[in-house]
Amino acid sequence: MKKIRHYYYLAAIIQGVFIIASPVARAQDPTTDGYVTRKEYEDLKAQLLAMKKELDAIKKEKATQTQENAQGQAIVESHKKVAPPESSQAQAGADTHKQVATEASPPVVEAEGSLLGTTKFLLAGWAEGMYEQRNGQVSTFSASFNPIFLWELTPKILFDSRLEIEPSGGGTNVNLVNAQISYLLNDYVALGVGEFFSPSNVFVERFEPQWINRLPDRPIGVYHGVLPNISVGAQVRGGFPIGPTRVDYAFYVSNGPTLSTFDARTAGTLDFNSYTDNNDNKAVGGRVGFLPVPGVEVGYGFETSKPGFQGTAFADVQALVQSVDLEITRNSDLLKGRINLFAQYAWSHVDHAVYDPDGSLGFGPLSLTAKRDGGYAEIAYRPTKLDIDLLRNLELIFRWDHLSPDPSGLGDPSETRWTLGLDYWLSPSTVVKAAYEWDKPNGERNRNALFFQTAIGF
Amino acid sequence: MIRMLSRSLLAAFLILFISTSLNLFADPKAKQRTATEPSDTVSSDSYMGLTGEELWSNNCLRCHNIRPPTMYGNAQWDVIVHHMRLRANITGQEQRAIVEFLKSSK
Repeated sequence: MKKIRHYYYLAAIIQGVFIIASPVARAQDPTTDGYVTRKEYEDLKAQLLAMKKELDAIKKEKATQTQENAQGQAIVESHKKVAPPESSQAQAGADTHKQVATEASPPVVEAEGSLLGTTKFLLAGWAEGMYEQRNGQVSTFSASFNPIFLWELTPKILFDSRLEIEPSGGGTNVNLVNAQISYLLNDYVALGVGEFFSPSNVFVERFEPQWINRLPDRPIGVYHGVLPNISVGAQVRGGFPIGPTRVDYAFYVSNGPTLSTFDARTAGTLDFNSYTDNNDNKAVGGRVGFLPVPGVEVGYGFETSKPGFQGTAFADVQALVQSVDLEITRNSDLLKGRINLFAQYAWSHVDHAVYDPDGSLGFGPLSLTAKRDGGYAEIAYRPTKLDIDLLRNLELIFRWDHLSPDPSGLGDPSETRWTLGLDYWLSPSTVVKAAYEWDKPNGERNRNALFFQTAIGF
Repeated sequence: MIRMLSRSLLAAFLILFISTSLNLFADPKAKQRTATEPSDTVSSDSYMGLTGEELWSNNCLRCHNIRPPTMYGNAQWDVIVHHMRLRANITGQEQRAIVEFLKSSK
């Protein structure tokens, strides 16, 4: 029995020796995984050294590229110093060097640049929602979305276009408001061709977007046959300083208006919404503005045309529209705020003509020299220098606008409106408006109206 | 009426002619100075006595509230001011000064 116990002890000792010795034995076995031989170690070391050399070479190459890029920037800067800013040739040279510098940029930047391209596109515009309750009409909500597409193909060439999209009846109306290609000839002259806002109609050109127009509706005088609003043609425009003052100008040729001759109510009026021409004569118009001090501008606009249909008795009838305008923006410490004053008045004159001379239309012969006039004056005050946010974001507006009767005496009577509005600005281009309008067409019952509107510009 | 139109056109072109003449022949040293100075001083130099910030404020506020420079990216400002130059009839120098101010104000 004692002998057997000794065998057990011997077996345990042998087993322990094997357990301890087995890892050593595995390490010395060249075929076992997880361990390397001296030869493999030397090979790996050689590979690591080779990779390190390669990495150093890449770093050196990258440092050289960065240095070249910095030199390219220096060239651009040096050319900027030599080139006068108003020189188109020097500008083109700077652009070329800029392009070179861009090409010398690190590969990642270059790849991003090529993805973005060189042209610049921007979707701007505005949207509005309005509630109108007018005496004698059903109250209604309305809404519109007015995207403006701006595409700058080069620093001198711009395409701009605006759409007007609004629900109407059971569908949606989409109107092309303007579409123009323009080219900057130099610092003082720009050329444009296409469908553009008539320069003599200051409201349409500058204040029409509803996040800019401080009242929910628009003056009657600027849309009802007294002033052109949209022209299809070509224009040249710009501005230049005269000492401390500045002059701006815009002259154009366009298809011009169409003379209304078939309806007794509108006989002698000019239809400026007829964009295709009705004769070979082209309208010529423009506006010249003068800014004696910053924030003050006075202007004179005109358009002359032959609006009658070619081949008719009205073909040689001449029309002339003239207007004067005033825009003042002043910050007042005394009033602790900003005051804006906008005003424009226009007169249209159509030569003497006989409408429906043989009475075939049922209202003639009607002989008249068609004269019409209309305009508006608007003053707004916003206490921008007050410390209280609630008050600083408020703006008070008052407007007077007027339109004379249709020249035939058989159409719409003269109309004068007074509008009082209060705006609250949620952001520089987001506004909530409320307004009340006293509207009493001559000889008719009042058309007073209450408005609420929200508009956002983007 | 033709006489009235002629007078209007004549007056308009007379104003343009006088203005252009005054601009072309007035202060030739100023033109020389502009031609030799580096372009990066255009915006910091006052144009008509106004800085880029003042031009931005004066021209934009004539019609609408001014939007903060951070509202748009540099490329967007390029397009917007280009568009507004056409609409407000500002000069190329004013355009550059305003754009540089807007880009540097972020």
